[in-house]
Amino acid sequence: MKVAVIGWELPPAFSGGLGIHTYNLFSIVGKIIPVDIYLPDMGYSFPPYPFNVRTVKIKSGIAGNVYSHVTNFIDAVNDYNEKVVENFRPEGVSLVHCHDWITFRAGIEIKKRYKIPLVVTFHSTEYDRSAYFNPQEPIMKVEAEGASEADAVITVSNLTKDVVSKNYHINPDKITTVYNGVKAFPYTSGIPFSKERQVLYFGRITSQKGPKFFMEMARKALEYENNISFVMAGTGDLLDEMKAYAYNYNIQDKFYFPGFVDFQKAIEYYKKSSVFVIPSVSEPFGITVLESMVSGTPVVMSRTTGVGEALNNALKADFWDTDVMSSYVVSILNHKSLMDTLSIYGKYEGMSFTWEKSAMKTLEVYRSVWRI
Amino acid sequence: MGKISHENTGGVQISMEDIIFYFELHQPFRIRPLRMQDKISPEDIFWEEKNMEIFRRISEDAYIPATKTFMESGIHSTFSLSGTFIEQALKYNPKTIDVIDDYVRSGLCELMGETYFHSLASVWNEDEFIEQVNDQRKLIRDTFNYVPESFRNTELIYNNRIAEIARDLGFKNIIAEGTDNIIKNYNPDYRYLAPSGINLYLRNYAMSDNISFRFSNDQWSGYPLTAEKFIKWAKESPGDIMNLFMDYETFGEHQKKESGIFEFIKYLPGYIEEYGLKTMNIREISAHHRSMGTVSIDKTTSWADAGRDLSAWLGNSMQQEAFDRLKSCNNFDKRKIWRYMQTSDLIYYMSMGNPEDFSVHQYFNPYRSPYLAFIYYMFALDILCNK
Repeated sequence: MKVAVIGWELPPAFSGGLGIHTYNLFSIVGKIIPVDIYLPDMGYSFPPYPFNVRTVKIKSGIAGNVYSHVTNFIDAVNDYNEKVVENFRPEGVSLVHCHDWITFRAGIEIKKRYKIPLVVTFHSTEYDRSAYFNPQEPIMKVEAEGASEADAVITVSNLTKDVVSKNYHINPDKITTVYNGVKAFPYTSGIPFSKERQVLYFGRITSQKGPKFFMEMARKALEYENNISFVMAGTGDLLDEMKAYAYNYNIQDKFYFPGFVDFQKAIEYYKKSSVFVIPSVSEPFGITVLESMVSGTPVVMSRTTGVGEALNNALKADFWDTDVMSSYVVSILNHKSLMDTLSIYGKYEGMSFTWEKSAMKTLEVYRSVWRI
Repeated sequence: MGKISHENTGGVQISMEDIIFYFELHQPFRIRPLRMQDKISPEDIFWEEKNMEIFRRISEDAYIPATKTFMESGIHSTFSLSGTFIEQALKYNPKTIDVIDDYVRSGLCELMGETYFHSLASVWNEDEFIEQVNDQRKLIRDTFNYVPESFRNTELIYNNRIAEIARDLGFKNIIAEGTDNIIKNYNPDYRYLAPSGINLYLRNYAMSDNISFRFSNDQWSGYPLTAEKFIKWAKESPGDIMNLFMDYETFGEHQKKESGIFEFIKYLPGYIEEYGLKTMNIREISAHHRSMGTVSIDKTTSWADAGRDLSAWLGNSMQQEAFDRLKSCNNFDKRKIWRYMQTSDLIYYMSMGNPEDFSVHQYFNPYRSPYLAFIYYMFALDILCNK
């Protein structure tokens, strides 16, 4: 028995969220059952992993990332899916596991051809990526097909489970939520930074992530407490608009926009900040929430950020409710006891999200569908 | 009856005589969810709609039917009514007061003294504590034409000094938690004296919890708990008196009507009689039962949480910050509001608890989060104290 995983990226080839997830999850699953992971051949070589990497040659290089919406990206996806089916090695494979719409077509075909069960994971849906604004029909069609053809569906939160179940008409009993894990060590070790009266935004600056609400929250907080600085880290199509917002409200002195931030710098921002705010309009999971928590930094998050449903030690508000968010931020900054309690309990709670748990839950899903 | 058997068995009493029911009737004025943008007057910080909704629901489900059932069953019991409870009853559902008044007038129900605001005043300010006890005593007199002789402090917060103050204020009886530490040496099923000489009664928490926590728990080996089974256990307990002290919401709220809790009460009198027991008010005990000696409790105890100490209120840094701020935030123009803010529940909501108490805290927390309880409380103090 063996699992064939249709992946998209894997470190060192790309290091997007999907690649990191694939690496962390299957490093553990691969120690328990054999795993083949299919990837587009990008000319990279991989170190020894506890799973087999099977790269397939594709017509052309892939320009955009997983989340791009360019036509040639969809072509590249189709090409990759066809090549995976062509090069698929079915010997001993008991189950095929796909990750996001970019791999669903291959999974559906392999299921039919070799009569093995299909599991699909939704790390996000087209609804999330578009923030419910003009989602693309062809992609939704693939997502609906994948969910419907799959023997079991995995979502990264109950929030996403509801999106998949309602929009694609899938029986919720077929869907299992498997939360992501976080590797706490890099955040809990290294140089300690003392906390500053600084509030952090960290993520892509796109409408899905609600950066506008962060700006509004900041403006309102500054009406009550002048002594706060804000960092909006990341890049995206709304970055200039956010900078303009700061100028328009004359709070640009309180703001810093560092642009793209590497891993080490991100850890420093997490540790130095007193509050991490994530006002996402639609976030299936929200791994940055856990990164902040394990760094000991209190989190103020939107209720539409999936991981929040499993957290007691983070403050939650509606993404548009910047009065409430600013009230929480100012409270944390002004009351040491609140900051300390959120920090300590949040750290423990964040650390309870491990990839071991995610892997075990994933194996349970496999066990529920495979025919032995 | 029974007195001779004490001597015949060499001082080891094997036959219980009296069942003592004491109930806490209390509701806090909860604070509404506040944002820093809210521009409201101190009078409006309380969550009127929620407080009304909760009181009306619980009075209809529990206070009123439970009181009628106890009265119709001829069971003696002792009520401790906080001032904020009486205020809410008069404001939100006055029938509750009428029903309690009937029970008091029947002679079956004793009323106790406590702090008007169900506060923690006893642990930080004796003058404030005494004033609040006197305020409650006055309200009981005005409402029920009754003068309490027995005292219980907020959530059974107790130590020798609190007992001494209660004695100085004219009370003859006081109650405390029979913590594991105390009952190692003192069987809670007897009368004792505090060092100041006031009668001291210790709660039998195991038997009390059999009703208040475990009654409808079908995973419990004692399930289902029938009146006969319970009275048999009481009868077989070594001691003179069975001190069953609990929240009054036990009857109809924590244990729902559907659990059969009211039938349980109705069947009690028959078995109490069959087993040769009686129910008795706290003020009557000393005339019928010997004292088993003096019990000194220096360290403050309570009936809350597994710790049975003050940690449910002052166990974490948020609670301490809030409590310190409350103490220093005495707006003398708004003294009554400041005292409502002293109600212990408001600080209890900020408790992080420990894993075994977590579900209890969640259940009682109107905000479902200790952090929000803290945030709203601090904004309320900002409004009250003109930050």
